Amino acid sequence: MGLQCYFGGTTIQTLKLAAIPASSRFILNPIPKTLVLDSFSRHNYVYCPLRNPFKLLLRALSATAVQTAPATESLDNKVVKPQWKAAIDFKWIRDNKDAVALNIKNRNSNANLELVLELYEKMLAVQKEVERLRGERNAVANKMKRKLEISERQKLIEEGKNLKEGLATLEEDLVKLTDELQLEAQCIPNMTHPNVPIGGEDSSTVRKMAGTPRDFGFPVKDHLQLGKELDLFDFDAAAEVSGSKFYYLKNEAVLLEMALVNWTLSEVMKKGFTPLTTPELVRSSVVEKCGFQPRGDNTQVYSIEGSDQCLIGTAEIPVGGIHMDAILAETQLPLKYVAFSHCFRTEAGAAGAATRGLYRVHQFSKVEMFVLCRPEESESYHEELIKIEEDLFSALGLHYKTFDMASGDLGAPAYRKFDVEAWMPGLGRYGEISSASNCLDYQSRRLGIRYRPSEPTPAPLKKGKGSLAPTQFVHTLNATACAVPRMIVCLLENYQQEDGSVIIPGPLRAFMGGLELITPKST
Amino acid sequence: MKRKLEISERQKLIEEGKNLKEGLATLEEDLVKLTDELQLEAQCIPNMTHPNVPIGGEDSSTVRKMAGTPRDFGFPVKDHLQLGKELDLFDFDAAAEVSGSKFYYLKNEAVLLEMALVNWTLSEVMKKGFTPLTTPELVRSSVVEKCGFQPRGDNTQVYSIEGSDQCLIGTAEIPVGGIHMDAILAETQLPLKYVAFSHCFRTEAGAAGAATRGLYRVHQFSKVEMFVLCRPEESESYHEELIKIEEDLFSALGLHYKTFDMASGDLGAPAYRKFDVEAWMPGLGRYGEISSASNCLDYQSRRLGIRYRPSEPTPAPLKKGKGSLAPTQFVHTLNATACAVPRMIVCLLENYQQEDGSVIIPGPLRAFMGGLELITPKST
Repeated sequence: MGLQCYFGGTTIQTLKLAAIPASSRFILNPIPKTLVLDSFSRHNYVYCPLRNPFKLLLRALSATAVQTAPATESLDNKVVKPQWKAAIDFKWIRDNKDAVALNIKNRNSNANLELVLELYEKMLAVQKEVERLRGERNAVANKMKRKLEISERQKLIEEGKNLKEGLATLEEDLVKLTDELQLEAQCIPNMTHPNVPIGGEDSSTVRKMAGTPRDFGFPVKDHLQLGKELDLFDFDAAAEVSGSKFYYLKNEAVLLEMALVNWTLSEVMKKGFTPLTTPELVRSSVVEKCGFQPRGDNTQVYSIEGSDQCLIGTAEIPVGGIHMDAILAETQLPLKYVAFSHCFRTEAGAAGAATRGLYRVHQFSKVEMFVLCRPEESESYHEELIKIEEDLFSALGLHYKTFDMASGDLGAPAYRKFDVEAWMPGLGRYGEISSASNCLDYQSRRLGIRYRPSEPTPAPLKKGKGSLAPTQFVHTLNATACAVPRMIVCLLENYQQEDGSVIIPGPLRAFMGGLELITPKST
Repeated sequence: MKRKLEISERQKLIEEGKNLKEGLATLEEDLVKLTDELQLEAQCIPNMTHPNVPIGGEDSSTVRKMAGTPRDFGFPVKDHLQLGKELDLFDFDAAAEVSGSKFYYLKNEAVLLEMALVNWTLSEVMKKGFTPLTTPELVRSSVVEKCGFQPRGDNTQVYSIEGSDQCLIGTAEIPVGGIHMDAILAETQLPLKYVAFSHCFRTEAGAAGAATRGLYRVHQFSKVEMFVLCRPEESESYHEELIKIEEDLFSALGLHYKTFDMASGDLGAPAYRKFDVEAWMPGLGRYGEISSASNCLDYQSRRLGIRYRPSEPTPAPLKKGKGSLAPTQFVHTLNATACAVPRMIVCLLENYQQEDGSVIIPGPLRAFMGGLELITPKST
């Protein structure tokens, strides 16, 4: 699974320089069952960056200015420098640490809150000390401007030199502390909506159920068999050309994919979403900022050789990146995008019967909705997104359940997540067809997406920034409008007829040149 | 040594046998090395060339056909980048931050235009009896090589996946070529005519300069590709069929273009003959390539191992063994671009722009865009 952090059970008592023996530091707990991935939810705690546990023992963690003991040989002192910084509200974490700790526990996260708090305090202390030393150094510099005896001047020069060296060391430590604080704090998952059920995947509750399982009256076939008989896919040729879990779509399946994408885009555009197509190669830093982990073991992410680029697993990533490091005007919000892209996932670690055919594949087409909005509005946009999804699935005549996902199954970025599972009669169970997450400011703090609230009344223009309202982080939400292969599974299996043909649901026919039925080909 | 022998004779024979065995092992090793090296060198030999192909560099390519004329605008023409900016159709800046240069987002009507181009093209080509496909976009590098591309050279056009033998495809020709790898088809199955929609990825290493602005040269794009496997006697006529399909598509969209018979120095190793279509792009002020149709004879099929077994001329009585089967032959393969979306978008925007900044949508695409006839500037 994508867990890079060790399970830190012990707390560091002090950050003094005693070496912590390797054995007590590295305690592995068995991986909880809830961390098994389903293809549309993220790994839990995917953002837990690679680092060496022993580097936690930094030099210069004492409060005194100059003396720093060297690291002991058994320690690796390298700090992994973060490529980018999330704008984490450390003060808020400290002021709400009980709630944060409980949340970490409810989410089965391995974030180390104690360490974050200690690093934060240390950082503040070192920062204060740095400022104090700077003050002293300035005082010395000022003193040296006066007329002095040679011995006095010598003393001051000596003092200035010591201060300068001490300051340099402390400033180095400050950088290391800040970097490590950043890396540890990035592991802390988002807070959780109060109505979210606490527990593992079995605790998720059903918000809504629509339709009923169809009563067939004849033996049902699964989509693989239907696909074979109707000459709709080829997995065998794809296995030779590309590997397992790849496929060609053929004949009416191609028309079905195009129809699903076209219809979905058109329906969601009617709701005021701006259509997009996106790059499918992105810088790995953007992947990380969205809460995914490109380089962990069992990563879901394909990387490009000789480059810092990765293939996207969802259009959420390139769309989230559009407004990176930007300050939007409040009047621009909400920004509502509906993006069509191909998605690529390694599906490392996923095995078993639930991976047959189109259910779990390495490459697929998806239409994704993404919203950036003011914080006060994210809950209502979450409701809007799930309603759009449910309307789409009902229009296609699917029988499905919408789940309010439990705390242990949320994934680090989501405050609340609704998953829709549709009945797949050939598989004989419900399968996930979409996921809608409200990420609050988790992603925007990493992507650096802010907005400036408008003035309540028109203020007279003044020079300088005094009259501008301070910026806030936007909230972001993402929701699957159409994951094509899963929809194809649903449509084939639910609409099969006894004679082996498959009915095409009404809304899609216009997008398929009026085709109403997929019939077996004469051989 | 099976005969009855005296001990000394047997000894001599054993010694001789041993020498022969060692000598043989060495020679067999040499044979393998030679065969391998022969293979590598011989793979570099390009396909033969059609007798009518002009000999020389790209300036020697001849025009087979010209359709339409450059439009007379009567007002200053804008290029597609400026039109895209004013009509809020693309975003290259955000893509440069997220992904790097030569990446882009399509927005608003440009998304509808891409979908319409793909849908219409697929539908038109299917009417001509082509089987529609979507394909994997990650393929094993060996398949890329068998099609005549070079994944691992300097300035390769091919993106490779870290920690894997897989690459991203630069064209659907590759995964489609791979469908019948190492197969023996029945003659009655031929011709096999596929029209495949995929995204394509190219590093464009080594390409620089003004001809790379905007959508003209990008790392990722959508493309509809035609691919034909046929009997050798028929490949020339299918080449003509493919170029005719392309020309009909471009004419239906009202484009002004020239079809070139590419000169020998510009063919690329797999092609026996190649027709490129260049369309007039008024914003760029020149013709730009929008498609390419190649007849590869058996160059690709010899590498991909695609054979067919000719049918018997008269029904032969069944005999035991393979004696009555005709020997297999290699198929011929052809590939042709039906629609390279970004280049088409450049053409349509630049050619159909109006003085007021709007862009007319060509007739055949309107039904695929919900009836939209015009792309108009957005009120800001």
